[in-house]
Amino acid sequence: MSDQQTKRVVITGMGVVSSIGTGADSFWSSIRAGKCGIGDAKTYDTEDLQIKIAGEVQGFDPKEEGLSKQFLMADRYSQFAGIAAREAVEQSGIEMPLAPEDGIRCAAIIGSGVGGINTLENSYHALFELKKRATHPLTLIKTISSSAPAHISIEYGITGPCFGVVSACSTATHSIGLVYNMIKQGVIDFGLGGAAEASLAWGTTRAWQGMRVLSPVGLYPFSKHRNGTVLAEGAGILMLEEYERAKARGANILAEIKGFGMTADAADMVNPSIDGTSGAMEMALKDADLSPVDIDYINAHGTATMVNDINETRSIKRVFGNAAKDTPVSSTKSMHGHALGAGGGIEAVACIKAMEDNYLPPTIGFDEPGDECDLDYIPNKGREASVNHVMSNSFAFGGLNAVLVFGPAPA
Amino acid sequence: MEDVAPKIIDILKKNMKEPPETIPLDTPLSELDIESLDLAVIVFDIEDTFGIEIPYNANEEVEDFKTVGSVVDKVKELMSANG
Repeated sequence: MSDQQTKRVVITGMGVVSSIGTGADSFWSSIRAGKCGIGDAKTYDTEDLQIKIAGEVQGFDPKEEGLSKQFLMADRYSQFAGIAAREAVEQSGIEMPLAPEDGIRCAAIIGSGVGGINTLENSYHALFELKKRATHPLTLIKTISSSAPAHISIEYGITGPCFGVVSACSTATHSIGLVYNMIKQGVIDFGLGGAAEASLAWGTTRAWQGMRVLSPVGLYPFSKHRNGTVLAEGAGILMLEEYERAKARGANILAEIKGFGMTADAADMVNPSIDGTSGAMEMALKDADLSPVDIDYINAHGTATMVNDINETRSIKRVFGNAAKDTPVSSTKSMHGHALGAGGGIEAVACIKAMEDNYLPPTIGFDEPGDECDLDYIPNKGREASVNHVMSNSFAFGGLNAVLVFGPAPA
Repeated sequence: MEDVAPKIIDILKKNMKEPPETIPLDTPLSELDIESLDLAVIVFDIEDTFGIEIPYNANEEVEDFKTVGSVVDKVKELMSANG
């Protein structure tokens, strides 16, 4: 085995923006309290919409967040990314901005499902509806889905690989996995990986309504009364670092990334396939060199659509076999909502906190198990447990699957 | 109201790859060659054609979407409610 293949990748910082709290500690206390961030949408007009609820980041004011000027000029999605990245950077203790020799060895892979779509929607409104002469001059750079990684690279002097990954609801997990692979292969020594999403608006809600997969009442994964997902927004970003580098500088190591798997169903735009989703889980376990019995908790994709929750349950059973019944599974989306591209990043923070705190987050709003949903979904109340290895699933429209396996900091 | 059924049948046919010659009203939607994404497009097309909003959710099994005839009845009901 070459030296490149033996590099280990650890997490030394994490940041989160969500409907149940900004900052990992605030987010985690909400999870422990089983708080739900879904409610009547307030940031856009819902009067003529069928779907009037969302998981919004409450009372967000970029000025109060103390963001730099470049972020204040950016789209809300980039601002969320800026806040989550700043938290991850500060926690890592890495001095920023980076010296040139470090900058080139660092990455910022920050994805988004749809980037600055709110900026675009407002611009179209101004042009087509209000008949304005022109759009705001920053419309284009605010809209592009690579604006968040660009702003982050400028902020911290990151001159290595910086770009955005796009895979709908698997975006953040793919982004983190990509940084993990680049460190493992020796392309870089450290980097930020994750995603941000801020697509809640009148027009995008109408587009989602047309898909007929949103619930008008709430997000109840794996539950009998589930009737669709609920859109949310936020960001989840990790600082990943090559283990020896982190150890040498005396960093506080939060966890290790043990494995990553990614597959595509190559089947259907909306109906998931068990082969694709279970394939990604198997690949992540194999990369981690772990068995299903080693996994203490699965943070499910768990969108609360009829098809996802059944397919995911079947996939877990296929991969975990006899161990499936004894492996606790929950969907934290029941609390923070479905933050689309950012989902896997927010859920990665939940996974790391679960290991740190030895606590399994619940699936709230659970009445009774849905048809074919027969695993331990940690209904309504979280529980204390020894949590050493965790799997996090992200499955996207188009059949794009990404799975991460986290483990404890190397001893 | 008489033209509701033929218009809906036309919409169904338009969204099927190989539509049958005739589609009787008692045909269950599950027996037609339409998938979930097609159904979303069909419902949109029906809403657009008749100027109504149909509260259809792909996550729920409802009587209104059992057969072609039940869709026709639902559309007529929504049109009457619109006045």
